[in-house]
Amino acid sequence: MTEHKHIYQAMFLLDNEEVRKGFNAAKDWIQSSLEKHGLEVKVLRLWGERQLAYPIGGRKRATYLLGWLEGSGDMVNEVKRELYLIGPAFRCLFLQEDEIPEEELVHGIQKMEDSELIIPEEIQEPDFEEPYEEPEEEQAATDEPKEEKSEKSEKTEEVKTDG
Amino acid sequence: MASKKNRTFDYKDVEDLQVYMTAQGKIHPATRTGLSGREQRRLKRAIKYARLMSLISYVS
Repeated sequence: MTEHKHIYQAMFLLDNEEVRKGFNAAKDWIQSSLEKHGLEVKVLRLWGERQLAYPIGGRKRATYLLGWLEGSGDMVNEVKRELYLIGPAFRCLFLQEDEIPEEELVHGIQKMEDSELIIPEEIQEPDFEEPYEEPEEEQAATDEPKEEKSEKSEKTEEVKTDG
Repeated sequence: MASKKNRTFDYKDVEDLQVYMTAQGKIHPATRTGLSGREQRRLKRAIKYARLMSLISYVS
């Protein structure tokens, strides 16, 4: 059976921890994974490093990698399966397109030095809220009636023993 | 809101998409955007892809 080849636009969300170790290593891993499954990589470039609109798996920032590929739908499915299990990418999107724009073809497979990409450190904030503590005055106010109650109970006990 | 005829939307163009969304993150209806049925569906798809890639929040 013949496989129909299509053009795909792909976007990968890379973990900043992995990118800090080396952007080229992360990009090469993605490229080799795509080529291993038979996809032809036309363009693979850095799209940007930015804050996520909502945290994904505790990550608040991520690096976006944009690619243009040629291959079949089965190849894309196999790549997706692999990318979600292992590797630096934690989310990916493949969209079928009619053609690759010329302004994208200019980029090709981007080569850049790791020092060129500066990734800011994430500010660690506690995920949980601090437990609510009642003010001391209120606690003291609530303790008083308890003592009174205990005194009363002692008195009743005494009365009982007398009788 | 709609200016061009038969226009397309790119999920990466976040600023353009946010014009068609409320502050809460909902998509404006076609009656308000002034887009055709096909354009409104393109817009919907682009916004949903942008949300998936964490470029736009689901709610704000």
